[in-house]
Amino acid sequence: MTKRRKWTAIPGLLALAVGAVMLSAYSGASSSQHSSPVQPIAFPHPVHVQKLGMNCLYCHNAANKSMDPGLPAVSTCMGCHNMIGPDRPASDLGPKRHSDEIAKLYKFADAAGPGAGMGPNAKPIPWKRIHKVPEYVHFPHTRHVTAGVTCQTCHGQIQKMDRVYQYASLNMGWCVSCHVNGYSPKEGLEAAGYAPQQQATTSSASPAPATVATGERKKARYDCANCHY
Amino acid sequence: MSQDISKTGVKRRDFLKVLGASSAVIATTACSEDTGKLIPYLVSPDQTVPGVSSYYATTCRECSAACGVISETRDGRSIKLEGNPDHPLNRGALCARGQSALQGLYNPDRFRTPLFKDATGWHATTWEDAITRLGTALGTAQKGGAVFLNQHESGSFPRFLDGWLAGFGMPAHLSVDFEADSAAIEANRRSYGVAWPSLSFKDAKLILSFGADFLDSWGANVPQQLDFADARAKLDGAPRFVYIGARRSLTGLNADQWIACKPGSELSIANALAGKGSVQQAATDSGVAANVLQALVNELGASKPVLAVSGASGDNALDVALAVAAINQASGAVGTTIKPATPITAFEGIAHTDQVLAAVERMRGGQVGVAFVRGTNPAHSLPKSVKFGEAFAKVALKVSFSSYPDETTEMCDLIIPDLHSLEQWGDAEPVRGTIGVQQPVMDPVFSTIKGGTADALIAVAKKGTPTAAAATSADYRSWFIANFPGGAAGLAAALPKGITSGTIAQRALPPAAAPVATATPMGSTTGDFFLVTYPSPVLGDGRGANKPWLQELPDPVTKICWSSWVEIHPETATRLGIERGDILEVKTATGTVRAPAYPYLGIHKDAIAIPIGQGHAAVKSMALFDPKHHSTGDVQWGYGRYSRDIGVNALDLIPAGTDGAGGLVWTATKASISKTGDNRVLPSTEGSARQHGRGIAQAIDAADLNKAPGGDEARVEVLPGDASHEFLPGLRAPVAADAQGDLGSPTALGHGIEKGMYNPNDVRGMAKRRWAMTIDLARCTGCSACVTACYSENNIPTVGAYWQNATLFADARPGFNIERGREMNWIRLERYFEGNPDGKFGEDFETRFVPMLCQHCGNAPCEPVCPVYATYHAPDGLNVQVYNRCVGTRYCSNNCPYKVRYFNWFGYGEQDRKQYAFPEPLEWQLNPDVTVRTKGVMEKCSFCVQRIREGENRAAAEHRELHADEFTSACAQACPSRAITFGDAADPNWSVAQLAHDRRAYHVFEELNTYTAVVYLKKVNHPATGATAPAAN
Repeated sequence: MTKRRKWTAIPGLLALAVGAVMLSAYSGASSSQHSSPVQPIAFPHPVHVQKLGMNCLYCHNAANKSMDPGLPAVSTCMGCHNMIGPDRPASDLGPKRHSDEIAKLYKFADAAGPGAGMGPNAKPIPWKRIHKVPEYVHFPHTRHVTAGVTCQTCHGQIQKMDRVYQYASLNMGWCVSCHVNGYSPKEGLEAAGYAPQQQATTSSASPAPATVATGERKKARYDCANCHY
Repeated sequence: MSQDISKTGVKRRDFLKVLGASSAVIATTACSEDTGKLIPYLVSPDQTVPGVSSYYATTCRECSAACGVISETRDGRSIKLEGNPDHPLNRGALCARGQSALQGLYNPDRFRTPLFKDATGWHATTWEDAITRLGTALGTAQKGGAVFLNQHESGSFPRFLDGWLAGFGMPAHLSVDFEADSAAIEANRRSYGVAWPSLSFKDAKLILSFGADFLDSWGANVPQQLDFADARAKLDGAPRFVYIGARRSLTGLNADQWIACKPGSELSIANALAGKGSVQQAATDSGVAANVLQALVNELGASKPVLAVSGASGDNALDVALAVAAINQASGAVGTTIKPATPITAFEGIAHTDQVLAAVERMRGGQVGVAFVRGTNPAHSLPKSVKFGEAFAKVALKVSFSSYPDETTEMCDLIIPDLHSLEQWGDAEPVRGTIGVQQPVMDPVFSTIKGGTADALIAVAKKGTPTAAAATSADYRSWFIANFPGGAAGLAAALPKGITSGTIAQRALPPAAAPVATATPMGSTTGDFFLVTYPSPVLGDGRGANKPWLQELPDPVTKICWSSWVEIHPETATRLGIERGDILEVKTATGTVRAPAYPYLGIHKDAIAIPIGQGHAAVKSMALFDPKHHSTGDVQWGYGRYSRDIGVNALDLIPAGTDGAGGLVWTATKASISKTGDNRVLPSTEGSARQHGRGIAQAIDAADLNKAPGGDEARVEVLPGDASHEFLPGLRAPVAADAQGDLGSPTALGHGIEKGMYNPNDVRGMAKRRWAMTIDLARCTGCSACVTACYSENNIPTVGAYWQNATLFADARPGFNIERGREMNWIRLERYFEGNPDGKFGEDFETRFVPMLCQHCGNAPCEPVCPVYATYHAPDGLNVQVYNRCVGTRYCSNNCPYKVRYFNWFGYGEQDRKQYAFPEPLEWQLNPDVTVRTKGVMEKCSFCVQRIREGENRAAAEHRELHADEFTSACAQACPSRAITFGDAADPNWSVAQLAHDRRAYHVFEELNTYTAVVYLKKVNHPATGATAPAAN
């Protein structure tokens, strides 16, 4: 290779590297999408949501009233698990079984055993955070939930995830595409596994958006100060 | 490998390796992004929602007045203090000092543990150990006599404290407030029968102030300001206000007329007005022209009722106050403008300074075995000539309950830090018949401080065998509840509003000897100038000096911060060849200080003035102090890092004399000045003190208010953007619509109007609002409470601390960044002088205050020049700054005619930088709703967009539209003169929409076609007219 070709190769390489960075940034490769950290307790959403039919808001109780969806306090877990201990005796529910994960919960809650309640040395569970938007982004859960955006729209089929992973890229393009193109509550309900008509059971205090029935896409503001301030 | 490349160039395989490796690096960094942990509660507290604020009503303890405050507490931390709208005293407003209580709570210099001193120095200890030490030491020390100096506060604690002291056989405590005007209190008591009647400015026809700075720090300034602003809002029916004194304070600058008399001659003028002396004599004594005084006498006779107040601080202060009371009585003011029937009780029971001085003399004489100090700092607040330190050192056991290091605490032997008032229980009786509750708004910041002073005293009592009733309670909370009217149920009922009706049992005041005036008359001292000292309206007697918000808040009069200064009249300064910033040596019989000169029109030409509050003792061993790595064991002595090396203590200059009411005489001596030859740049935000015809602050005479505009006025009316024109939603200027709507859209092709982002007719109705603000200059007094409210709400960093300078080539001195114009005040108070243009002596100048903030122009000059679209116009009328887009070209700031954009020079919000503005735990004050800006980013007023979004989110959650006046901006909320109104100008139901069409409305620089969203209402002047105008000389 000649000297001249050598000198073109280095800038060329640099340009390619820059290109790769930009490509990765815009393609969403710089997002932590699909990250699925191992949690201190392997909490099974499917058991709680699909099998037991618990509502998301039972544990994430601030999702419809705060920026922050809220995490269940240890006492919320122990509200049920005080009586549902790590060792299940054989019964009509099934054979005798031991759960390591409930045992871990008991350790965090400093619970001596079923029925004993939380002990004096209880510690909060240090969950690993999966979904995070940068500090300069203000994402109000309440606004989205009250507009009829279902959890699954952004978090994926979380009720089926044995280990939660980041479903959406959470990049700005992803946010804006929904604000610009609009969100269909009908599709959202379907993603959550509901038939649209089930929405009709909502109380009169919070009437269902008219768009549910029509399938109209609900658009939202997407100027910068909507989220960045 | 490198050899291969040099010989053969890059091989395809190498290229792929590099590409693969760099991609892997990118991918790894992306994946390894630390998102942190989510730590849930163990047990979720009742009635709290994460991310949603709770609000607790409590009582402000930053001065004696005891206003009601509401603490916004988010996830267990107090993040903002606002006035309690239900409180009878402050009716929702709060001054800058009250708001800064938050920085006392989170002060980085707060003691984190109790400390004791032995031969080897200071040692941290546990709370229990400190109690034991106090209990043990007290047994022997108390026999030598005791003194307890406590910060004055109304409520139950003083009575509890006396009970505790009595249990140990110690005398009652001294309730100290060095800022209190003893002469006024004594005169009130003699003339009206109460310590402090409530004052009704709005019922007066004429307001006379004899040096009473009722808008600064005299009396209860928030209620006084609320009422004064209400009086001014009567426009042509408003009372005229005449200020008589040697120095025009902030209050004086709000007066329609200033009568500049020699210090000490207020008595002659008051006597002349009361008919007890001749006008000619008063003119001779005061140096004021006789015709001016005669005109005032005439005006007084024609204006009933009058409201006259005295805040004289000379040796004859009591006589002045009594003469002023006589003016009121003669004018029928008692019961109309002065209401003894509804007294402000917060000023009852204050120990006069002569009692404190007597206690100091007892210490000096060895008659005191134990001294306690709580919430007061006599080593700084008493004149140096008292030699407090020398006397205090003779006390065997010295105990401090101070939360912060200060000069007095440094001399003590044992420190049991008090909890902050926002962390503990208490009460106050601010107005007779109303109890204000003080409740903890959060858990203590430092769990090592296990209780407040009262809890510590109870714990000590339990160790010994005192007869104190206090020992029977488990802690102060149970004592307090047991003594609260209605007990626990009564307290529970009072807590939501923070107030209840009832009275608090008062302590029996110890008998005190009748005060004797000890001050020598000023005229008998030597020197060329009368020396006027006054408590700073921002720092008080100095207790605010450890709070960066207050240090950074420019003095409302001089606009200087992080410094002391000597005010001198420009004419005198010219005569002596003194220029702004020249370091002057001020010398009196008792001391010498050096401070920079500030030529000021509002000072008598034979007087100089120095504010009290700065000049705290130098912090030792801080040469290598690094605010980031504060070690808990290392106490920063002095008065903490924020007061370090700032200015001088004017009290070093004055003799320790008291007036007839036992109060310290601040205006006590003459002084001589000399130039030292040094000069410094004053850390000032002043800019020009003159408007140069720009029409920023406009005013109108009351007599012209109802005249139809003609001539020049009519021409102004046809200008576009005039307030008489309609506010339209969203953009209204065609220029702006082109620049930013159709063509300026980042995704312009096929977007713009077509896609509806900027189209006010869009079906989504996004642009139906136009956020706007009106500022009534007739109400605004320039007090600057809005500035601190903005700092608090919007996480604005303070930049003046000595470590916040540049890393290279900069002096580590406080205020350096201010000298360079790097202050970050999103809203600032501009102060302009009108009249007296040649600066010669004359009192006929007028002052106009203009709160200046981002005008949210409909046609904003900043927007088209931004190369990265970081500033743009939102469809609801906001001029938005997007921090994460900004690359810091500063073009926008260059193009802003209002100069309201501020640049982050040094990354004050970044923890790992030297200039970090929020050393731990100060960052707890940060508002989680607002981004903390990083280095290289432009920022400015956002119209509190976070409050707009919060309101919209709340309305959306409740499936409704926003209510009119549902929320307001932080500045408008705090304003103690109710000058600021914020809201949606496109909806006629909002107050702002009506006010924007006021006959006094104007836009600043409307000739620039900026279509601002901030509408100012002209100030209304009340010049002396007709028979009351002084005849020409």
